[in-house]
Amino acid sequence: MTADLIQLLAGGILLGGIYGLAAFGLSVSFGVLNVLNLAHGEFLMLGSLLSYCAFVHLGMNPFVSAVAVIPVFTAVGVVFFLVFLRPLAEKPPHELLVASILVTLGASLAIEDLTAFFWERPVTGIDYSLAPLEAGGVVISLVRLLILLFICGLAAALQVYLRRTFTGRAIRAITQCREGAKVVGIPISGVSALTFGLGVALAASAGVFYVTLFTVTPVMGIPLTVKYLCVVVLGGLGSLVGSVVGGLILGLAEALTAYYVGAEWSPCIAFILLLTILIIRPQGLFGTES
Amino acid sequence: MTLVGRRKLVLAGLFTAAVILAAMPWLMVSYAMVWLFLFAVYLTLAVSYDIVGGHMGYMNLGHSTFFGIGAYATAILLNKGLGLIPALVASAVIVAAFAAAVSYPLFRLRGAYFALGTFGLISLMGVLSTNLRDLTGGSGGISTPPGDHSLPAYYLALVVAAGTIALNRWLARSRFGLALFSIREDEEVARAFGVPTTLYKCATLVISAVPASLIGGIYVWNVTYISPSAVFGLEIALSPIVMAMLGGTGTIMGPFLGVVFLTLVQEVLWTQVPYLHLTMYGAIMVLVGLFMPGGLVRTPLLQPIVRRFTAADAGKHLPALGLSESREVS
Repeated sequence: MTADLIQLLAGGILLGGIYGLAAFGLSVSFGVLNVLNLAHGEFLMLGSLLSYCAFVHLGMNPFVSAVAVIPVFTAVGVVFFLVFLRPLAEKPPHELLVASILVTLGASLAIEDLTAFFWERPVTGIDYSLAPLEAGGVVISLVRLLILLFICGLAAALQVYLRRTFTGRAIRAITQCREGAKVVGIPISGVSALTFGLGVALAASAGVFYVTLFTVTPVMGIPLTVKYLCVVVLGGLGSLVGSVVGGLILGLAEALTAYYVGAEWSPCIAFILLLTILIIRPQGLFGTES
Repeated sequence: MTLVGRRKLVLAGLFTAAVILAAMPWLMVSYAMVWLFLFAVYLTLAVSYDIVGGHMGYMNLGHSTFFGIGAYATAILLNKGLGLIPALVASAVIVAAFAAAVSYPLFRLRGAYFALGTFGLISLMGVLSTNLRDLTGGSGGISTPPGDHSLPAYYLALVVAAGTIALNRWLARSRFGLALFSIREDEEVARAFGVPTTLYKCATLVISAVPASLIGGIYVWNVTYISPSAVFGLEIALSPIVMAMLGGTGTIMGPFLGVVFLTLVQEVLWTQVPYLHLTMYGAIMVLVGLFMPGGLVRTPLLQPIVRRFTAADAGKHLPALGLSESREVS
């Protein structure tokens, strides 16, 4: 019983780490651009499929591809930004909102449908495993442990990047006050493009881990984006710690629901969490009252 | 043209349209009737979406949940032996209660978050309708008592569609409608001027949910079978919204134009190309978002025609997309 529970918690924490990583990508690009990228989950899906191909055809280790997708998808994100979102930047707020939802959701549908069209197999997972660790009746897969360490490392690196480098500071400055950042000479457009690329790269990197643990389908992007929204709202906007904690809560809640209530109910839990947090504490766990 | 003359012309036009539509079942093949029935369904959804999405400026991407719950509730009640009208009314009450219940937490979200949150509502309902097997028949769907209802369903759908348009128009001209416009333009200012924003937002969601529920009930009565993927799927969720957006939200003409345009496109293009429908929807959404977020009625090309036909309210309400009004003035 206890062993089961510990294993369950371990699984939940891992899933939560993956959620947190991608959700932070969503949150940071929203902070800088003021545009919620509804195609975020699609990039996770694309990252998964890419690393699947790399694993099957080139035999590439998932940990290597998790790093390798970062520059690739940063470039993809920058191009996406320049083509679809840059032209909207100068619109007045309400128009920007409507236009950005239409553009990102439209892109998301198109990506999903096209991928499903060309990807003949509906469900995909990879078979990558290392010898599991066993301690006191609890079996913990080494792959999962390594992934968790990797995610922690990535989050730490991200935190250092945001705190210590010039670009990182510029990103935080724009999030705090757009006009002020403009006044002190931060190139808003360039930093926005880079931030968007970063957000997309984080999603893709999380996708690589996703495919090592779960099966992937081309149509999973939009439900995932909704989950990230829950995580972001749960943790509070623009906070890395908040995203990670929100992700962990969601991951644990899903794992526990799947075990105790039934696997078919776990897709509901994200939304129930979202409604609960909105009623109790709308600014999120780590958010500040605005 | 004087105002009285125009009004007479509009009334005559409406009357002619009503007569033609009422006579349609005797004039044409049944295919046209099926098509017009779906047209009325989409029109109702697009126009009732527009009450929240256009007048109030909140993008309710989950509008089809009201359609779906209405359809399921009606189907279940019909199976319990209720007549059509009691079943429709009871499901409308259920849906209104549901809308009131979810509106409080959801309206704590704004902008894109509200849009995504309501979008999540669809998948939640999809999961619920699949999992609650005893009530909904699970993923296998639910059937209603068989019978050919296509003729009365056609008329009922037309009546609901016309009623929804009338409701939308009446709302837009009422004091309540003005409050909704003020929420769309600036919620803080609206509240400062004494508009009870939370109450009005919840009330508006409930109002927009009722026509969607009714048309959902009529839909299931007509087709006699629904499944979770049919009423909680992406296509029924997005097409009315895309139609309203494409035509232009916050106007009477806009959603109507959008529905006409897109149903024609579906009819011509999609019967030729059996796949990639969602990609085409996506492409249309991207193009509308990039090049005409105001929709067809606000493109310069169509301005003169639109102004001519909707001049009575155009002067007040046409530039209804956020700050475009102040830009036109300056």
